[in-house]
Amino acid sequence: MASADKTINTDVPEKDVFAIHFLQSLSNLRIQNLFNSPDTTNYRVRKIKKAAYVSMARAAGGTSRLWSRALLRRAAKGNNKIVRFPRRKRKVTWKISSKRRRSDQRAPVVEDAAERLRNLVPGGGGMETSKLMEETAHYIKCLSMQVKVMQCLVDGLSPK
Amino acid sequence: MSSSRRSRQASSSSRISDDQIADLISKLGQSIPEIRQNRRSSTVSASKVLQETCNYIRNLNKEADDLSDRLTQLLDTIDPNSPQAAVIRSLING
Repeated sequence: MASADKTINTDVPEKDVFAIHFLQSLSNLRIQNLFNSPDTTNYRVRKIKKAAYVSMARAAGGTSRLWSRALLRRAAKGNNKIVRFPRRKRKVTWKISSKRRRSDQRAPVVEDAAERLRNLVPGGGGMETSKLMEETAHYIKCLSMQVKVMQCLVDGLSPK
Repeated sequence: MSSSRRSRQASSSSRISDDQIADLISKLGQSIPEIRQNRRSSTVSASKVLQETCNYIRNLNKEADDLSDRLTQLLDTIDPNSPQAAVIRSLING
């Protein structure tokens, strides 16, 4: 793993990449006959929300980011699917307590705030503080992109 | 740095100094509109950045929730013969 001197890359794909993935997800939902089913609205809302997050994770690079991996893994568990992730060359977060203990050496005020952040970022719980910062920056860019896409879709569909 | 090689047996991260963390945090701050637009002070405290980040993520999650609600409504009530439906169809199939 490179040292932190390397400038972190938080480039995200263009908006249309997110849009395409989301529309694809929606189309898959339609194929499952979601919109003609007697399921409750709540169920449908949850399906769409899940489709949004999963498509965002895929658009953002799938398994190449810790947060998107965690998100996809969480979603797959919900589907009771067995998902195999390709073996990564470098070790991803073990929950090694010694790793977390190293971050305890940080200023407590930073660590407290970082702890709250860990609860908000998928997979954050296993990340070391510096990695958490990088992943968070990427995550919020992708999240805001996804929200923009959804807003555009809603605007386009709303009656004039 | 040779020290990073020594610490490799424990984890894949190198020894990162507090300064580097502060730098990463300030870079994170640039991704948050709230912080990027308030250039009053040259430096924002690390805990402020992290606090604003948490707020920002919560807001985005809420927006995603609301938009999912709205989208579900719209997709439910869409008239299959309306122009909107045609747009959706062409976007999804195209």
